[in-house]
Amino acid sequence: MKAIRTLALVLGIVGATSAVGWAQDEGISVGSVAPSVTVKDLDGHPINFGDLVGKKPMFIEFWATWCPICESLLPRVQAAHARFGDRIAFIGVNVAVNQTPERVKRYLTQHRAPFQVVYDADGVSTRAYNAPQTSYIVIVDRAGKVIYTGVGVEQKFEEALARVAGPEPAER
Amino acid sequence: MSPVPNRQSDNPFNLKIMDAMNRLVPKRLIMAGLLLLLPAIVQGQQTQGPPTAVLVSGPELGEMAPEFTLAWATRDSIGPAGSPYRLAHRRGKIVVLAFYPRDFTTGCTAELRTFGDQYETMFGKDVEVVAVSVDSLETHVRFASSLKLPFSLLSDPTQAVAKMYGSNGSEGSMRRTVYVIDRDGRVFYRNLRFGALDPKAYDELKAAIREARGS
Repeated sequence: MKAIRTLALVLGIVGATSAVGWAQDEGISVGSVAPSVTVKDLDGHPINFGDLVGKKPMFIEFWATWCPICESLLPRVQAAHARFGDRIAFIGVNVAVNQTPERVKRYLTQHRAPFQVVYDADGVSTRAYNAPQTSYIVIVDRAGKVIYTGVGVEQKFEEALARVAGPEPAER
Repeated sequence: MSPVPNRQSDNPFNLKIMDAMNRLVPKRLIMAGLLLLLPAIVQGQQTQGPPTAVLVSGPELGEMAPEFTLAWATRDSIGPAGSPYRLAHRRGKIVVLAFYPRDFTTGCTAELRTFGDQYETMFGKDVEVVAVSVDSLETHVRFASSLKLPFSLLSDPTQAVAKMYGSNGSEGSMRRTVYVIDRDGRVFYRNLRFGALDPKAYDELKAAIREARGS
C-alpha cells in the first residue's frame, strides 16, 4: 500500500514539474503541426499563417537586423526563393527584440528581402514556434507539418525545401 | 517583504509540496522512483511531442538569494583570481542575475546583445547585471568583447550555482533564466523560462526593475 502511495506521489511530482520546466532553446518539434498564428506586416496589415498552413508549403525564418548570421544567409535564401518561390510561401518574421519597425524598413532599403516580411511586435509567433535564436528556419510541408528546423549559418535547408516543393511546373 | 506571485513568469516547482512529500515518504523512495522514471522522461525528447521535462527549483520570491562566489571576466580581461564576484558584497544594489546556455551559440545571441545594446535604458545606474554560463573565462572575454558587453560574465563550469537557482540544464549547458535581486539581497522577480526572442520577457524584466527600484 505504501509503495503504491509512493509511486502515486512520484508520478504527481513528475506531472507537476513537467508542466513548468520544459527545456528551452530547442524550438518547435519536427512532426508537429505548424501553429496558425496571426502577425502583422510592417504596415500593420494582419498576416494569418492559417491561410497557408495545410494549403501551401512554408519557409519561415525568424530574423533581426542586428543578426549577422541572418545577413550571411540572405543570398542563399534569395537563391532558394528564386528556385522555389512559385511553390513555397517565404515568410521572414522579424523578432521585436532590440529593433523597431522603422529600423527594419531602413534595413530593407539596403537589402532585398527574399520573403514576405512580418514584424512580430507581441512575440506571438516567436512563442508559438518556440524560436530559440535568430536565423531559426522552420520548413512546413503542404500538409501543414513541420519537417525541418535549423539555426545558424551552417544549416542545410535547401534539401528540405526541395522535398516540400514538389515537382517543378512544366515549361511553358 | 511578502512574496508577490505575479512577479514570476513561470509557476515554479513548489518547494512546499516537496516538504510535505518528505514528511509522508522517505526521500530515498522518491529518488528511486524518479530514477526509474528518468528514461521515460528523456525518451520524450527523442520522440515527437513536447521537449524534455526538467526538474526546476530555486529561491522563491521574497526569499534571500543564495550566496555564491564565482570567477568573472569582462570584455577587456579576466578578473583577478583573488577577487571573485561575491553576491554578498552587492547589498545596496539591484542585481540582475541571468543564467544562459553558452557563449557563441550557433545562432545570433539575442538576450545578452539586447542587454548590452539597451543597457542604459533597460537597467540604469543603480542596477548591476551579471550573466552566468558554463564557459571558461577566456571564452567569456572573447564573447563579451565581440558583443561589447558593458557587464561581467561569470563562469560556473560545474553548474553548482545554476543548480542553487534552479537554472541547471542537461547536456552541459544551463537553462535561460533571469532573477532580479533587490537591495536587501532578496529575490524580487524571477523568470525561469526567459524567452530570448520574446519582447514580453524584456518588458516584464524592465517593469520588475522599475518596481524594485521603487520608481
